[in-house]
Amino acid sequence: MWAQYSYGILVIMVAAVIAFYALARERDDLHKLLLLDLVEIVALGIIAMLGTDLAEALILPGLTVGIAELLALSQIYCTKEGIRNRPVMGLNIEVITKSDAPLILSIFLVAYGMVLSGFTGGGVAGLGLVFLFISRTYRNDLNLLEMASGISWAIWIFAFFVFMFLPQYWFVALMGAAIGILLKVTVKMSLVGTMWGKQHD
Amino acid sequence: MIDLVGGVPLYILEFGDELVYLTPYTITLFLLALTFTVLALISQPEKQIDIAFGGDAYRAKEISVDEMRFRRFMAIACGLATMGAMVTGDIFNFTLFTAMVGITNVGIVAAVKSPHVQDAAYQYGLVALAATVPLFAGAAVYAAVTGSLSMIELMKGTVPAVPLIAKGMLMLGVIGEGMAPFYAAKAEMFRAPGAPYVIMCSLSSLLIFLRVVEIIMLG
Amino acid sequence: MIIRKISHFLCNYENIMPLFAGACLLLFIAGILLLPLPYSEKQLYPKTFDRNSSLDPYDRGGPPFTQVSIVSQYPENSPTAGLVTSYLTPFSLFLSQVTMHLGTTIVAHPGGIIDEILYNTRGLDTVVEATILFIAFAIASYIYRKV
Repeated sequence: MWAQYSYGILVIMVAAVIAFYALARERDDLHKLLLLDLVEIVALGIIAMLGTDLAEALILPGLTVGIAELLALSQIYCTKEGIRNRPVMGLNIEVITKSDAPLILSIFLVAYGMVLSGFTGGGVAGLGLVFLFISRTYRNDLNLLEMASGISWAIWIFAFFVFMFLPQYWFVALMGAAIGILLKVTVKMSLVGTMWGKQHD
Repeated sequence: MIDLVGGVPLYILEFGDELVYLTPYTITLFLLALTFTVLALISQPEKQIDIAFGGDAYRAKEISVDEMRFRRFMAIACGLATMGAMVTGDIFNFTLFTAMVGITNVGIVAAVKSPHVQDAAYQYGLVALAATVPLFAGAAVYAAVTGSLSMIELMKGTVPAVPLIAKGMLMLGVIGEGMAPFYAAKAEMFRAPGAPYVIMCSLSSLLIFLRVVEIIMLG
Repeated sequence: MIIRKISHFLCNYENIMPLFAGACLLLFIAGILLLPLPYSEKQLYPKTFDRNSSLDPYDRGGPPFTQVSIVSQYPENSPTAGLVTSYLTPFSLFLSQVTMHLGTTIVAHPGGIIDEILYNTRGLDTVVEATILFIAFAIASYIYRKV
């Protein structure tokens, strides 16, 4: 019996076959990395075929794992190819570097991200900070940001234990988790923003 | 009726929908992972010495303290991920722990400065990234077919049988993350100095492989 | 002899990625041949739609601070499951009352079924996932600084 589920899986599996065939034939290291990014989508597609709320909650970890490994691998690629002075610089556009526009936009994005909270909010707020950093080429020390990242991770773990062992305080845990993940994602994204551009010593 | 593949669960710790359970089989694997993590924590790293063949010349490889500290951190994280993968009772959670083992393995070798080792680490990282596809896909098919991700439910046998393809995907994913049959290629990475940490790569892949065999026999 | 040839092929690490991709290729071809897959009717956290709700695809199923019923695997382990699901911040409650177009943005506000699953019933997944992100970032920043 061919139900809707099997038809969907068929389409995704054909996509997987094409993608893996390309991957098996590719010889260039950078192209392999780019193709892998495409192949990741197949996994998300198969999870999405579940079609329940659970699927949406499983896609998020799946996506994050893919992005995280891609981040680490691209950095290893840069090192191994000896790409030191990457030609990508800050946005050298006069209007952006001189005027207040990036600051205002960033403040708006960060404020909206805080309203959203959680993963999405962290993404939005982080985008605001990335924009600010690449337009101003900040070169401050990153210790404060890294500490904030560690603290937010601890907040989130604390929230998890409240959920598991003191479920009657679920509201505290919800707010803790939302704020912890917001901070974590924001900090991670803005750190990526500062890695962009000139190498700092 | 509980199937006696890894023994009857002796202890079940509940984290919401995800149960952590201990059977005689998983306890053994867990203790093994724990022992090696403690070893990585307390042991002094080796110092590699190159000897020129046919002469008396030798030189010790210089390894910075910073690099050793980072690799020890990665080895401990790898041990923790392996312990998690040994005791978890949820298919998707297991795949996440396995992915974490993969990325910490890359981290243990990628910190070494030798270009040769970095090249090997990159190729291995590509395989680890590709392996997340069959891993997550396998877990998703488990969920779709049985309507559950809990291994305890699979043990009870109340859910529909798991199709062969889902098991195959799970297996191939674990092979990719742990590089199980590719030890010859992995030897290239072992040229990286620092004995207790590179051993962690091998041990973790062996353990996740042993665990996935148990999971596959459940459904 | 054949074993020596195989191990000689494998010891070149350039070859392992095409080899693994080839194995995946074969597996997915086998997957196509083994279709159709059965789909269990009894799923966890099934999706429901209420087209008339202002929170449409992510309707929370009730006013805040009431416990709605959700289909989790072990309801007895999460006695408060369903409270996070129905929660709305005062701001998002206000938005949902004045507009019909909150749509998918509402999923990003605190509360809701995704938060319930990610933080509460399947919280361990998110712990591991956050840790993977942390590890990957540590690797990237270590390599970035040391080179």
